[in-house]
Amino acid sequence: MKSHQVKLTLNGVEREESCESRTTLLDFIRHDLGLTGTHAGCEHGVCGACTVEVDGQIMRSCLMFACQADGAKVNTVEGLAKSGEMSDLQKAFKKHHALQCGFCTPGFLLSAEDLLKKNPYPTELEVREGLSGNLCRCTGYVGIVEAVLEVAAARVRQSGGEHA
Amino acid sequence: MKSAPFVMHQARSQSNILDLLDKYGEDARIIAGGQTLVPVLAMRVASPDHLIDINKVEELKKFGVSGGVLQVSAGVRQAELEYWSELHKVQPLLSMMFPWIAHAPIRNRGTVCGSIAHADPSAELVLGLAVLEGSAILISKGKKRIVQAKDFFMGALQTSRQANEFIESVQFPIYGPLTGYGFAEYGYRHGDFAVVAVAVIKEGDRWTIGFGGIDDVVKVYKCNAKSLVEAKQFIDELATETEVREDPTATSGLRRHLMRTLGERACQQAIEFKSDEIR
Repeated sequence: MKSHQVKLTLNGVEREESCESRTTLLDFIRHDLGLTGTHAGCEHGVCGACTVEVDGQIMRSCLMFACQADGAKVNTVEGLAKSGEMSDLQKAFKKHHALQCGFCTPGFLLSAEDLLKKNPYPTELEVREGLSGNLCRCTGYVGIVEAVLEVAAARVRQSGGEHA
Repeated sequence: MKSAPFVMHQARSQSNILDLLDKYGEDARIIAGGQTLVPVLAMRVASPDHLIDINKVEELKKFGVSGGVLQVSAGVRQAELEYWSELHKVQPLLSMMFPWIAHAPIRNRGTVCGSIAHADPSAELVLGLAVLEGSAILISKGKKRIVQAKDFFMGALQTSRQANEFIESVQFPIYGPLTGYGFAEYGYRHGDFAVVAVAVIKEGDRWTIGFGGIDDVVKVYKCNAKSLVEAKQFIDELATETEVREDPTATSGLRRHLMRTLGERACQQAIEFKSDEIR
């Protein structure tokens, strides 16, 4: 029975739908709100494909219920591109072949954005550590790490800072 | 991988939680971060009829130092404590443990008290509470009791919490400024539960050494040792004599080996310990 009325801000747009208690935030975003960029992988918190940002913190959307996100600000991979143009991070993923099948990519993009927000000058080790909660079965991670490091350096240059 | 149906109760205050627990007892589970409970529900290992969500209870979102302990309430996320600028001075052992607990997105939502409630004997915070000789504060309607870690953890995923009680907070005792700490862990993948984890507290010649992952509960031992050689000798004997778990992930032989090697590493760290050097 869809007993909960959930209202949240999804990528800046207010959305409201009803759902069951047991509906995860992941299923709610995909099935009820229709944004299928966030991927359902393991559905028990191991793979990181479903990573979204809830009130400024990245989380596993499969490990919380939609009714717990009532009133929250949720950002998904669909929020990264602005006016149809891929973000710098998305372009770098493409350039460095940081994806093959692309299933894990939405989670990686959200985790990488969060990492760069908290640590604008990450070392390779810190990038690997920061992305350790996301699994990729295609790339071997090398391209992903290169893409994130390139974007970090470019953003620092753009903001006029020096790379540590 | 979908939970069985349940009724979600949104608690607004502590008294609200207690009323709900009093009413539903054994049929209800508290959900805070849910980083363990949600997978358990999804795999239908458990299917409680009622969940009590405590995430919106403001009075449970505090932590701080008072009376020689670091007290952490039920709503405090692991990441909040991890990024607290004073943690490496107040409770260095926890600072050393946090990077080993799952991954950043899990620590962003998972709570400290939730890990304690789950009572996995290979979990870092369970080891931390046990080796620091901390306590859990359990409250039920009209009753409050403080239970020491050794009386709280009863077995793998088993605690002495009663069905109408909930963990309002946990207390990690604060040790003197000259105390040394060490922590070492081995797991198969970064962020996994430990195969074996060792935590060491060194107060002069008095050592407290805790092992996670070797039994159904964390094992805590005390010894007097004047040097690393003596501490190592104590651990070597323990590793030989103690009953150690054997399961498909690791033989008891591997676990004994890890007790020795990680034990030595953690003791070395405790000798060289400087809180400023914790990242």
